[in-house]
Amino acid sequence: MYSEHNPPILELDSLGFRYFKDKPFINDLNFSVGDGELIGLLGANGSGKSTILKLASGILRPAEGQIKLWGKPLHLYKNKDRAKLLCYLPQLLDINLPFKVRELVSMGLYPYDIPPEIRVDEALEMVGLLEKAESNITNLSGGERRRAFIAMTLIQGAGLLLLDEPLANLDIKYQMEIQRLLRELRVKKNISIIMALHDINFALQFDKVMLIKEGRILGIGKPEAVLTNDLLKEALDVNLEIKRQDSGGTFISYGNNF
Amino acid sequence: MSKIKISLLIVISISIFLISLYLGPNVINPFHINDIEKEILFSIRLPRVIVAALMGMALGASGAVLQAILKNPLADPYILGISSGAAVSAAFGLLSGSYLFGKFGIPLTAFAGACIVSVVVGAFGWKHGRMLPERLLLAGVGLSFLFSAVLMLLISMSSSEGIRRAVLWIFGDLSIADWSMIPYGVVFITAGLCISIFRAKALNALMLGDDLAHSLGFSVHKERLLLFISVSLMTSASVSLGGTIGFIGLLIPHIVRFITGADNRILIPLSAVCGGAFLCISDLIGRSIVSPMEIPSGIITAIIGSPYFLYLLRKKDVLGT
Repeated sequence: MYSEHNPPILELDSLGFRYFKDKPFINDLNFSVGDGELIGLLGANGSGKSTILKLASGILRPAEGQIKLWGKPLHLYKNKDRAKLLCYLPQLLDINLPFKVRELVSMGLYPYDIPPEIRVDEALEMVGLLEKAESNITNLSGGERRRAFIAMTLIQGAGLLLLDEPLANLDIKYQMEIQRLLRELRVKKNISIIMALHDINFALQFDKVMLIKEGRILGIGKPEAVLTNDLLKEALDVNLEIKRQDSGGTFISYGNNF
Repeated sequence: MSKIKISLLIVISISIFLISLYLGPNVINPFHINDIEKEILFSIRLPRVIVAALMGMALGASGAVLQAILKNPLADPYILGISSGAAVSAAFGLLSGSYLFGKFGIPLTAFAGACIVSVVVGAFGWKHGRMLPERLLLAGVGLSFLFSAVLMLLISMSSSEGIRRAVLWIFGDLSIADWSMIPYGVVFITAGLCISIFRAKALNALMLGDDLAHSLGFSVHKERLLLFISVSLMTSASVSLGGTIGFIGLLIPHIVRFITGADNRILIPLSAVCGGAFLCISDLIGRSIVSPMEIPSGIITAIIGSPYFLYLLRKKDVLGT
């Protein structure tokens, strides 16, 4: 799949991590991300999705193994250089920020001494917040705030986005809008994206999904291959049904779980 | 609009600085200065106004930095216990009445005390190779209580003249200002100010949270350490120049933020300028209102500052809570 001329953008090789000395949380984790791939990270709460994203972004240091970004060990990058290649958006965002929307979004240009020609207004328009550019962040709704942070992420111009539940708190319209936007970026700018999410129906639309349980990968590959009844039961401890539509598409049914 | 507001604030601050030179118990006409007035202006007023401006700048800027690092709108430069530590060591020297370094005695002991306390607070705030804001804050508050108790103990055990001087100094005594203390004040305060202004982008990013600051290309713990050093330098130098003066570090950043926004690249230098101007005018009031007696500047800043602060507390947007 990857070659000398087309190396993986991100490689996690035999990665181990522990929060407590004698209790490994992530053990022997291996996966890689290719050019323009959209990967969904699925798993129950506490399964290790956020930890994997934090390891991949360099926020957490692995106890074992190595992470390579564009073929070079992640820890050898200067902070600013790394920020131009890789961008991480956390799940929890501070709600008491005294900044205006425009100020926040333009912080995405901080890694650059000479900012690239990306207009803050364009990013704001993409996430539907142009009209609120001069509003205080504290006056936005939860979903609007998340969209403002996504605009900041977009403006950072990195080729690899690590997004921890970016669709949380968004209404269905903006969940679809942000997904559409990310797909568009992937096609136009060849950006690779790893996204932690809970909505399995959204994950079915991804190129690749990774199912996580207790810090290890249960399955990785095409959604139809990984999101099977058995694996979902094992990962999420709930019975879900994969249903096929006449048109050929698939969706997850909650069945008789209620 | 913002540029007009910023220019206006700077012009007002410079005007206040100049006015404090010429107004006072004796009003000096800048266009007709005789020899005595020249002597008053250059030997007494100018060093005093410069010390007030330096202290106010240090307090305003370090207040802005601390409120951002600690993510606490009620933080001020004294919350880390640096000033209490300086006060204890200076008061100890003042009350014992024996100084080795002549007139440098008070500032030197205060500065030494402030530096030692900064290192102790920094050490308490440091865990697993990181500087943790919550630990810094709690260590500072804890040490402040301890030093206040020691200070009270020292005062209660001392002679009456010692008490008066110590109390004056604790509330900010600018009457001891002279040229000799200014150069080292300029060096430390300028150094602290430069660090904080050059790291203002990082401070903005830190306000978004450690993970986002990392993602934006900043070394979170290194930046926090640098900013802590800048605050320690400015606070230590300020306390040793003229004692502890409250409310400037708390209020000025809030007022400036209200006018120009929260971007630290503008907030820090403007808080410095406005802090300097506010202390100049407080000192002018303190030395003029009941002349020939003087009211310590710390009392004036608190009298002006407290009601305004309570007003700000009711304004949700200003404090960002």
